[in-house]
Amino acid sequence: MTRDRRLIVLLMSTACAGCLLAACAHPPVPVVRRPAGALVVLLPDPDDGVVGRAFVSNAAGTAELEGARASTGIVGSSAPSAVKPLDESQVQMVFGSALSSLPPRAHQFTLYFDFESDQLTAESRALLPQVVQAVKDTPFPDVAVIGHTDTTGSAASNVELGLRRANMVRQILLGTGLEGSLIEVTSHGEADLLVPTPDDTSEPRNRRVEISVR
Amino acid sequence: MASLRSIAGAVVVVMFPVWASAADPAAAGRIKVVSGPVFIVRAAGTIQATAGQALFEADTLRTGADGRVGITLNDDTRISLGPGSEARLDQFVYAPADKRGSLVLKVVRGLIAYVSGRIAKLSPDGVKLETPNAIVGVRGTTLVLRVDAP
Repeated sequence: MTRDRRLIVLLMSTACAGCLLAACAHPPVPVVRRPAGALVVLLPDPDDGVVGRAFVSNAAGTAELEGARASTGIVGSSAPSAVKPLDESQVQMVFGSALSSLPPRAHQFTLYFDFESDQLTAESRALLPQVVQAVKDTPFPDVAVIGHTDTTGSAASNVELGLRRANMVRQILLGTGLEGSLIEVTSHGEADLLVPTPDDTSEPRNRRVEISVR
Repeated sequence: MASLRSIAGAVVVVMFPVWASAADPAAAGRIKVVSGPVFIVRAAGTIQATAGQALFEADTLRTGADGRVGITLNDDTRISLGPGSEARLDQFVYAPADKRGSLVLKVVRGLIAYVSGRIAKLSPDGVKLETPNAIVGVRGTTLVLRVDAP
């Protein structure tokens, strides 16, 4: 390499450093501007594989997504594009970072109670260790507890009975060391029957507490 | 029997404040997964998100260039954001006792994954993911979307 060429290289690198300094001093200007747009992909449920349905719409039209990895794109104010399925690798390439950050599915339990009582049935009492274990296995858990009754008795007294049942479960959850503020207790009384019955009907499957550990 | 009922009524009145204060009734959900820089933007200011934190209606989640976040809402809906993303929980109503529920998530930019919870079952037209140029109505169960801001 001649002396002159070395000088040119030196000058060029100085000029480049100058460019870099200038870039630092001013906010970077994006070179490529993508038009405002969106890509929407319907996926099978991560746990049971069920594929739902979705509608993507704007003033210019609607696309109905049905089937695994059905997708549509929107650019600017144009109508959603014709639906086409993506393959799994495309989905992972674009959406892997978001998909891998989904929290685990909530653990759900239903515990049953004796007639007009906040005492668990023997079978349900045997399930308590599983509930406690779910709380222990869940990072940063919070728990929803909903009490229910059958239609025996008045609606008002059943709200109260449902609440007593839910609070009984709450006490057990507190025993795991879970903070009270992380347990949401409510009662639906006789308003949300698992098995539909007429009023004043004793039905063991309706005397329950639903627990969601998430 | 009538006196028994009035006793039961009195118990409800006495117990109500106890369980109302037991949980945080205004929280819409909680942050479960955080990696990299993630922020919650709310009227009171912007705070760094940490796992376990409560999330409220009208909160905005924002992730940095290598940030990710996953949340679980009170109806068991799960939502996550990839890097460089922003989304606002515009509306969250979950009142299963009244068979009511609605969820509106405004996606400003970035990558979002959504897995439906109980609101989608309670109210099939109640879940909307809004992007700047289209609205997605989700009838369950799982969906991903990317919004390219201009």
